[in-house]
Amino acid sequence: MAHRDKEPSKLSLFLNSDLFKGLLPFIGLVVILVVMYYLTNGRIFQPKRLRLLLSQVYYPMIVATGVFFIMTLGSIDFTEGSTLGVASIVISMLSFYNIPLAIIGGILTGAAIGAINGFFHVKFKLQSFIVTICTMYLFRGVCAYMTTETAIPASAAIKALDSDALKISITVAVLLVAFFLFKFTRIGNDVKAVGSGETAAVFSGVKTDKVKFLTFVVAGALTGLAAFVNVIKVGSITATAGNQLETQILISLVLGGLPITGGAKVRFSNIIVGTSMYTVLNNGLVMLGFESATQQLIKGIVFLIFVALTIDRKALKVIK
Amino acid sequence: MSNDKILLKAEHIDKRFGITHAVNDVSITINAGETRALIGENGSGKSTFCQMLCGIYSIGGGTFTLDGQEMHVKNQVEANKLGVSIIVQEMGTLSGLTVAENIFLGHEDPFMHYGIKDTHAMIKEGQRLLDEYGFNNIRAGAMIDSYNFEDRKLVEIVKATYMKPKILIVDETTTALSQNGRLELYKIMDAVRADGRSVIFISHDLREILEHCDTISILRDGEYIDTVNSKDVNEDDLKRLMVGREIGSAYYRTDYGKPISDEVVLSVKNVSVYGQIEDVNFDLHRGEILGFGGLSECGMHEIGKAIFGASWGRKGTVTLADGTNIDDIPSAIKHSIAYASKDRDNESIILNESIRNNVVLPSLDDLAEKHILKSGKLNKFAQEYADKMQTKMQSIHQFISDLSGGNKQKVVLARWLGKGSDILVLDSPTRGIDVKVKQAIYALMSELTAQGKSIIMISEEIPELLGMSDRIFIMKDGKINGTFNRSETLSEEDLIAKMV
Repeated sequence: MAHRDKEPSKLSLFLNSDLFKGLLPFIGLVVILVVMYYLTNGRIFQPKRLRLLLSQVYYPMIVATGVFFIMTLGSIDFTEGSTLGVASIVISMLSFYNIPLAIIGGILTGAAIGAINGFFHVKFKLQSFIVTICTMYLFRGVCAYMTTETAIPASAAIKALDSDALKISITVAVLLVAFFLFKFTRIGNDVKAVGSGETAAVFSGVKTDKVKFLTFVVAGALTGLAAFVNVIKVGSITATAGNQLETQILISLVLGGLPITGGAKVRFSNIIVGTSMYTVLNNGLVMLGFESATQQLIKGIVFLIFVALTIDRKALKVIK
Repeated sequence: MSNDKILLKAEHIDKRFGITHAVNDVSITINAGETRALIGENGSGKSTFCQMLCGIYSIGGGTFTLDGQEMHVKNQVEANKLGVSIIVQEMGTLSGLTVAENIFLGHEDPFMHYGIKDTHAMIKEGQRLLDEYGFNNIRAGAMIDSYNFEDRKLVEIVKATYMKPKILIVDETTTALSQNGRLELYKIMDAVRADGRSVIFISHDLREILEHCDTISILRDGEYIDTVNSKDVNEDDLKRLMVGREIGSAYYRTDYGKPISDEVVLSVKNVSVYGQIEDVNFDLHRGEILGFGGLSECGMHEIGKAIFGASWGRKGTVTLADGTNIDDIPSAIKHSIAYASKDRDNESIILNESIRNNVVLPSLDDLAEKHILKSGKLNKFAQEYADKMQTKMQSIHQFISDLSGGNKQKVVLARWLGKGSDILVLDSPTRGIDVKVKQAIYALMSELTAQGKSIIMISEEIPELLGMSDRIFIMKDGKINGTFNRSETLSEEDLIAKMV
């Protein structure tokens, strides 16, 4: 419990309120937008730039939606990047036969990887942290193996689908469905209950094993869907597809205010605010002409400062 | 035994947590050689007061003067060094350390040589202390995790008292101890007093307080009410002082000879759980309160879990009147069985969640319309049942971790009332709960059985078993060792005879 002794002032009460903590990520987003606006003399908001920004936000946002549910459980997933890579390869290969088949293949590939993660996590009671680091290496390996000879091209037909309208519709649809499930069905409640207190959830009749397994499957499937968006954008898949995606998603969600322990204090807006913040920062740094090494360095510092300022220390404990 | 030398003087002690005024201008003096009880309902500020004294919380206002010297401690270790130590209500030992490391936590200096810890010397000294206290079964070199809750409490007692503190605070420790452990603790308390030092004793067990304390200070809603001599008062006086009004005589049930219905609602047949219970058989009848009692390791707590489908590797059957078998928690809940665990904070409620979400969780399927949950409806439901239990809260959106033990238990009962369960398994329903809430829970139990619901009450409190049960089963070594029917002539000794 915090040491609050004097009659607390209105200001300190406000600064410690959940409302303010919930607002912090939004404030962070505005700060980053304003700073980038000045540093780039407003160029970042040119229509051309905005389109570029948008094009970079789709697939991380879809992936982040799945990971959001996993992290609400209090678990973690490090396989997004490798899943995206493998699913992209599957989609590209199938795209020469039939486009709907390719999409379904991608989603199933993602779901299968999620099922493997979920199975080991639930059945063998392994921490998701450990399981997904192992499977990350495994599927990175698969990805590298498949692309050893040459990059894997996708068919022209699937590349022809590349349009903002399609990508926006997919992203918005995913967000809407996820929001509905999270807010208005038992699924959202159960996932939060597991994150807040797994034992008590079991004793309240929540089928925690089933909830955890299905969450991993669905998150994998969403990454598979994101792979489709990725394929129509890039057209050919190399060994580095989806590289570092997992850290990008993790840091995006934390920037968006998601407590790393999951549970009751997560908010759906974490996904949108977090991925937007990451993308704006990333793009701004590119526009400012920093070298990629310098970009990394600046990103690291900004993340550290943001996380130190915004994280809810009360909720810190071990990740499942 | 107490002399007139003032050992501790607390003046105008004050503490706020956010908008809650936990301790409001409390002044108390304690003489050397005195055992002082602090009593009050849950949330009356007695624990907070003591935790300020021993450096766990910072002091919000006022001063503590120990032995003529004003105290300014920043943490528990500093308080220890000045001569104040505490045995806390919950687990106060650290997992992953040895017994000896726990005992000397924060006081490792005597065992350090140039920055290197002399483990051997530490274990040797730890064992010497344990032996001196008579806890020979505990090995100083063993990991603390290899001991059960009670043994760990004994280690804590050693840790808190080996340095001969001037003030020893015992914060509701006895609820965690068996009869033997309690006797050990009383011995130590008496030794401290005989030595001209003082004990501050917090407990809800008024009889224990009257037996072992010289004087009693009463707190109510954070304010100091009075200090009385144990000789001059009885339990009813204390209850009145704590609550601020007369507690009616209807504390326990007063009816005797109520016939038990022939209608069996639940049959337990040949139920065994390895290492816990063995071949337990009984029927639960409609509208009865069936009490389970025994010593802490007798297996009675596992009975509750077994009925609720929460036991690992349970053998035998638990069957409802309509022939449905209960094998797991979801089916237990679906078929109208409710369970309130002894381990309230871990198993009964989700601590880091709102009151609302805790109340609605088992009822979500009932509240959903075509799988859709509406916030307004959930709020209304939670509000209704939290109000029915008269839960003291700011709103249903408050986190349950902010509530006192008694109010947490009210939320637990509210969720099962809301679920409309017909069979309630209540394990230690009044553990660590003050008289007012206790009274409310007993009244609720009577009301529920009058409606035809059945209750299994597992309890470590013998008066509670005698006062509330229609039938009492006493367990020993995992088996039912004695059965009693409700009767005015039944005595505590009758039950104890079957426990040991």
